[in-house]
Amino acid sequence: MFVITCPHCCEAREEEEFHYEGEAFIARPVDPEAESDEAWGDYLFTKKNPKGWHWEMWNHATGCRKILVLKRNTANHIIAGSWTLSDARKEYDNERATA
Amino acid sequence: MAKSLSNIELNLNQFSPIAQSALQHFNLSARQEKVSFEKGVWANETPPAGYIRLRGNAQNPVFLAATQAALGAHIPCLACTSIKTEFGSLYWLSIDEWLIVTSVESRATLQAKLEQSLTGIHSLVADQSGGMTTIKVLGKHAADALSHCTVYDLHALNMGKVVGTSFGKLSVFLCADHDGYRLLFRRSFADYIWRYLERAAEPYGFAIANLS
Ligand SMILES: [Zn+2]
Repeated sequence: MFVITCPHCCEAREEEEFHYEGEAFIARPVDPEAESDEAWGDYLFTKKNPKGWHWEMWNHATGCRKILVLKRNTANHIIAGSWTLSDARKEYDNERATA
Repeated sequence: MAKSLSNIELNLNQFSPIAQSALQHFNLSARQEKVSFEKGVWANETPPAGYIRLRGNAQNPVFLAATQAALGAHIPCLACTSIKTEFGSLYWLSIDEWLIVTSVESRATLQAKLEQSLTGIHSLVADQSGGMTTIKVLGKHAADALSHCTVYDLHALNMGKVVGTSFGKLSVFLCADHDGYRLLFRRSFADYIWRYLERAAEPYGFAIANLS
């Protein structure tokens, strides 16, 4: 079981209080009607699914019911950090800029 | 046709609903006892109360000022905190959400004051009195019994702290009082939560508390 720190409740909580919400920062096509079926299907169903570090969203379902972002290693379950969506976006962009 | 319509009208005139406890079928008030040291865990549903859900932007000073004007108290903006006021209690539920618990009698006035004060400000005020209830748990083994029900570490629950956490397969808001714990939850959860709690508390000696 993970212990996840909720950036809204400012506290470490049991995984059971949370819902997994999938990969974070997948950009929604600006104009869905104009997308090809392939591109739309890709947006909906294609995920990175890496072995290693993964940016993902969780919902604090029994608590504040807000979305948070985790950077979690899918191979060893180490959690590097948890942030609000906007704070995580900065971390994520920084990481991509320096990679 | 006309006759049956007038019958419906007649029935509506006679319709006077009364709020009934969600745990009515357990007949708790008839089984309650004076709290003593003989049992490890005591619990009961608290009397009907007025519940108001308040939502708004805690970063917006206009919203904060308006709620303060209506309530005569600052809403708690620190995560997982609650305060006692002259009309009842104010619980932080989320970064943009609070629960106001007051008496059944003062609920309508308080709600009207809030609504008026918040006119034109992006916010929500909703009466949830029919949809929520509270169970109070006390006794020297109250924390032990609750540990079987929730994943939250009760040692981290200081007085006045309120956390949204699990209770079996459901979710509750759990709050520590000076003399025990308070579970605030949806009325439809009541049967499940009461049975679960009673089962968990039984090994410690359980009885239904007279809270008055
Ligand atoms: Zn939270």
